[in-house]
Amino acid sequence: MSRDVSILPMLRYLESAVLKLSELFWFNYRSTHHLASHGFYEFLNWFDERAWYPLGRIVGGTVYPGLMVTAGLIHWILNMLNVTVHIRDVCVFLAPVFSGLTAISTFLLTRELWNQGAGLLAACFIAIVPGYISRSVAGSFDNEGIAIFALQFTYYLWVKSVKTGSVFWTICCCLSYFYMVSAWGGYVFIINLIPLHVFVLLLMQRYSRRVYIAYSTFYIVGLILSMQIPFVGFQPIRTSEHMAAAGVFALLQAYAFLQYLRDRLTKQEFQTLFFLGVSLAAGIVFLSVIYLTYTGYIAPWSGRFYSLWDTGYAKIHIPIIASVSEHQPTTWVSFFFDLHILVCTFPAGLWFCIKNINDERVFVALYAISAVYFAGVMVRLMLTLTPVVCMLSAIAFSNVFERYLGDDMKRENPPIEDSSDEDDKRNPGNLYDKAGKVRKHVSEQEKTEEGLGPNIKNIVTMLMLMLLMMFAVHCTWVTSNAYSSPSVVLASYNHDGTRNILDDFREAYYWLRQNTDEHARVMSWWDYGYQIAGMANRTTLVDNNTWNNSHIALVGKAMSSNESAAYEIMRSLDVDYVLIIFGGVIGYSGDDINKFLWMVRIAEGEHPKDIRESDYFTPQGEFRVDKAGSPTLLNCLMYKMSYYRFGEMQLDFRTPPGFDRTRNAEIGNKDIKFKHLEEAFTSEHWLVRIYKVKQLDNRETLDHKLRVTNIVPKQKYLSKKTSKRKRGYIKNKLILKKGKRPNRKTV
Amino acid sequence: MAGLLWRLLLCLAAAAADLQLDEARRTLDLSTHLAKVSAELSLTNAAGTAASTFLLALEPGLEPRLAYLGVQVKGEEEEENTLEVRETKVKGKSGKFFSVKLPSPLAPGGKVRVSVEMVFTHVLQPYPTHITQSEKQFVVFEGNHYFYSPYFTKTQTTRVKLASRNVESYTKLGNPSRTEDVIEYGPFKDIPPYSQDTLKVHYENNSPFLTITSMTRVIEVSHWGNIAVEETVDLKHTGAVLKGPFSRYDYQRQPDSGISSVKSFKTILPAAAQDVYYRDEIGNISTSHLLVLDDSVEMEIRPRFPLFGGWKTHYIIGYNLPSYEYLYNLGDQYALKMRFVDHVFDEQVTDSLTVKIVLPEGAKNIHVDSPYEINRASDELHYTYLDTFGRPVIVAHKSNLVEQHIQDIVVHYTFNKILMLQEPLLVVGAFYILFFTVIVYVRLDFSITKDPAAEARMKVACITEQVLTLVNKRLGLYRHFDEAVNKYKQSRDISTLNSGKKSLETEHKALTNEIAALQSKLKTEGSDLCDKVSEIQKLDGQVKELVLKSSVEAERLVAGKLKKDTYIENEKMHSNKRQDLVTKIDNILDAL
Repeated sequence: MSRDVSILPMLRYLESAVLKLSELFWFNYRSTHHLASHGFYEFLNWFDERAWYPLGRIVGGTVYPGLMVTAGLIHWILNMLNVTVHIRDVCVFLAPVFSGLTAISTFLLTRELWNQGAGLLAACFIAIVPGYISRSVAGSFDNEGIAIFALQFTYYLWVKSVKTGSVFWTICCCLSYFYMVSAWGGYVFIINLIPLHVFVLLLMQRYSRRVYIAYSTFYIVGLILSMQIPFVGFQPIRTSEHMAAAGVFALLQAYAFLQYLRDRLTKQEFQTLFFLGVSLAAGIVFLSVIYLTYTGYIAPWSGRFYSLWDTGYAKIHIPIIASVSEHQPTTWVSFFFDLHILVCTFPAGLWFCIKNINDERVFVALYAISAVYFAGVMVRLMLTLTPVVCMLSAIAFSNVFERYLGDDMKRENPPIEDSSDEDDKRNPGNLYDKAGKVRKHVSEQEKTEEGLGPNIKNIVTMLMLMLLMMFAVHCTWVTSNAYSSPSVVLASYNHDGTRNILDDFREAYYWLRQNTDEHARVMSWWDYGYQIAGMANRTTLVDNNTWNNSHIALVGKAMSSNESAAYEIMRSLDVDYVLIIFGGVIGYSGDDINKFLWMVRIAEGEHPKDIRESDYFTPQGEFRVDKAGSPTLLNCLMYKMSYYRFGEMQLDFRTPPGFDRTRNAEIGNKDIKFKHLEEAFTSEHWLVRIYKVKQLDNRETLDHKLRVTNIVPKQKYLSKKTSKRKRGYIKNKLILKKGKRPNRKTV
Repeated sequence: MAGLLWRLLLCLAAAAADLQLDEARRTLDLSTHLAKVSAELSLTNAAGTAASTFLLALEPGLEPRLAYLGVQVKGEEEEENTLEVRETKVKGKSGKFFSVKLPSPLAPGGKVRVSVEMVFTHVLQPYPTHITQSEKQFVVFEGNHYFYSPYFTKTQTTRVKLASRNVESYTKLGNPSRTEDVIEYGPFKDIPPYSQDTLKVHYENNSPFLTITSMTRVIEVSHWGNIAVEETVDLKHTGAVLKGPFSRYDYQRQPDSGISSVKSFKTILPAAAQDVYYRDEIGNISTSHLLVLDDSVEMEIRPRFPLFGGWKTHYIIGYNLPSYEYLYNLGDQYALKMRFVDHVFDEQVTDSLTVKIVLPEGAKNIHVDSPYEINRASDELHYTYLDTFGRPVIVAHKSNLVEQHIQDIVVHYTFNKILMLQEPLLVVGAFYILFFTVIVYVRLDFSITKDPAAEARMKVACITEQVLTLVNKRLGLYRHFDEAVNKYKQSRDISTLNSGKKSLETEHKALTNEIAALQSKLKTEGSDLCDKVSEIQKLDGQVKELVLKSSVEAERLVAGKLKKDTYIENEKMHSNKRQDLVTKIDNILDAL
């Protein structure tokens, strides 16, 4: 069975022939490389001075090290065995390997919840479902990839420990939880879901010794283990997100104590004590949490946490979170795109679970409900929903198949041991006898299923298989189209169908790597920070780890100010190169001009005096790059860098020069000149443009001509004055002709 | 020893005075970024003794730039044979000297014609050193008007070939004639030894000034039929450095913009090259084309970006070769004959080269035959897949290489063929251990404490399994018997019925006994399943009764003692009863 499962990720390699290298890959790869080459302790103390210039970043303390340690460990073991695999290859293939493990742990969890058949189906689903494949294709070296495995495995072990009540399974669960904490910030989901499960069990009067043992052990050991991760540190006892677990722990102790007392007290005494005790305990816990929060021992809810409850919160207060496409609320389309038919069938599975409820099915129901909510809030959290959807759909499908397909199999299977072979030989002779005295083992089932004719069974089975087939086709399509196209390499297709690879990103990054100073500082929007650090190996100002909003806002301000104002900012930040993405030549829509409004918004959040979003719109409220666009936009640094010399370029004979293909507009400012910048590199399709920030001149050159005060005329001024009349003259002056004096003879 | 050397040097110096050059015709080819000097000399022995060697000299400034020197004798019948060249020193003179061994000693008064080929690298200096994108590249060459020689020269000419007809300036010693891109100096008569006079040409040269600043070539030999070659290349454009902005617009729209930049070049790989890859640290470089020709594989390499002056790039190219073309053996003696350096681009210059040859694990007595002098570093060990004690690696360095250095190097070594089996055996062994461990783990009990309850449970499960099959078999018997009854009803042959009854009885008895035995076993195990089995036995007895009853009824029917209607009615009743009983048994069986 597990062989079947492990083949599935193999299939996945084939599907994603082109490696998808996500942005995060580069950061994780760089960290792993650091870990592999410098050792674990050096990695924990790693201060990365190449990111967030001039602040730097304490990577060891601000990163979940699980992924890097896993990859580093695999690399180390392989190299111990003289298997000379490059750390890069380990990183690339880690995700598919872990997706195989996820499939196995999903199988185990579903088997615990339902049965083996459903488990196998669930493993098949999770192996191909697009919502998870986005994290498990080769090359997606993400925390999430291994975290989903850890999540599923922790849940499996939790269910196992609730079922058995054995400390062994609980300790295993804690170790798995520790791994999860080391891998992903989403561990908060576990530390809230498991207490919720326990709490609901208490409410449902399903308290038992097993639950008590499991949760008490889990909470204490898990808490201590999770505090070992440097990035987590004391958070589990000091932040509100973790308080639910502590509260449930206290409640469980109180409940257990009351249970103990019940054996010793009369019913009447007990009831009064029970209500008193429970309400007192709840009150004390609640009040102490409030008190601790108020006095500052417990950090209040973080902004990201609020955004989970109020989807509008981020847009108003934290534009940087809202600007990430992954943090947008999920649309119905993406639910269907990522889960396809499973999104329709999983409520059925949930219903089956609730119908036949037991301790662990309570858990999966809670898991499903909470995950659905979170997935609806954020596209990114779709990932936590995917496994539970797979499991519940598998339960639904397996139930249907058991009913409509199962009996046929049973009819064939059981009589094998008895004298079936002799029977079969005789049966063809007298078929009419068969009906009366069939193999008796089936006889009793025959009666219960009288309502279902074979036709209905066939139709239902066919329908179900058809659905599954369509699901498989959809998954293949999504995988090959949406998720395996590498984000750094764009492909376009010519008229004759040949593929044209646009490798502009790597072209430009490699140029930076080879032909700039080793310590050059590159300013770009934060989306490209990790890529620049990874591929170009240069210092960046901001990157995808958006921990410092004001720094990002400063970069946004530089991009959205005019050149001389931007130059001051860039000088103060020691910027050597500015890198932007411009898609106007090839019609790439994810470029910086399209992201520009976010830069303006984020800059406005920190510098409301200098940057105003409304300045970048036309009076009609439109964002236009053509002549009608606002003059602030047409003269800001981003605009100028994007369209520098683009006005001369005629892409097509049908369009005027300077026609932007992405925005379908002729640009408004074609005469762009730089004073403090100079074009350093532009990639082949103009996708990446890099500008060099010039040093200050020794003497400021003027951009206009020197004003000349003592004008020396070129032609020598010819005075109309004759030597005789030097007193000036009046034009067109009436000249009085004087008469001649008659000659007088002199005496 | 030193004295001997000293005497030898003196002797050489003496010899130098005795030879003279009748004619020296020199051609300086400056059309690329190399300076290729070819000279045809005719030597006369003016001394009284025969001369076996003669001297070649290099001007003091040029000596570190020399990449290659080759001397050939021009025979009568066009056959050319390369002469042996050794570096020597001449007392009191700086610069480099080479003594060339003549094929046969030159008798007094004898003449010989030799042709000398020299290649210098990095002697063309860009001037101006920084140019903008739209400017053309000009270079300056500084050399010697005369053929620098320790001998007296009667007459000599120099012909300078340039890259273009656009010449800024050139020295005008002896009123040289210039046509298009060729400048001819001389003839100069009666030149004394060691004469020098600076020749300077400043002209336009837009040929690609590509230099391989460093290159590592790794050749990994496998006796399983493959040779993997991987070259790590650092390229730099060593022409005039680009000044000011690089404008993609100009580069795309104006044909003469960036005329001295390098967009792509061709690398010629061996004809058998397979699985060629071209990549760098950040992945595959998608801008390359591979063309398989009859006698070679041509690869058009386009760096990720065009190389302007001063720009660098770095890439890795690798391919596999079948070993039968390069690896020869005689018993345990192996010889690997590979190129020390291979073609990267035309007119290539390699500043520094490191060659690593990884031989199979267990290769011994390694001996290298190189066509020219190389610097062997100490051997290393390389560990890769399935290695235990490491593969020997030959490391060799050489600097300043040009195309003329593309020659074969031969590595001799011995290798015991038995060692070929080491790697498969290692794999087999590993799997053997793995499976063996699994077998041992599964078969043996490693639990620290004994769990009698579990053991008993397993035993019971085993017994119940047996009971199940037996009961099923017993129920099957009735069916056979029913068939026998049916047959009897059709054929009215009492013997079939009797024989059927007999077999039913015997087999039923045997099975019942077996079940009873199992039941008692269950009892000893103390399992409560025992009761259930006894219940089954009881029910089974009723079933058997019914079966027999129905057979009796059938008998009566056949005999005509019973009416058909009543028989059918009875039969129905019986079968219903039986059905009920069987269902009960089934239920118990399911519960087992």
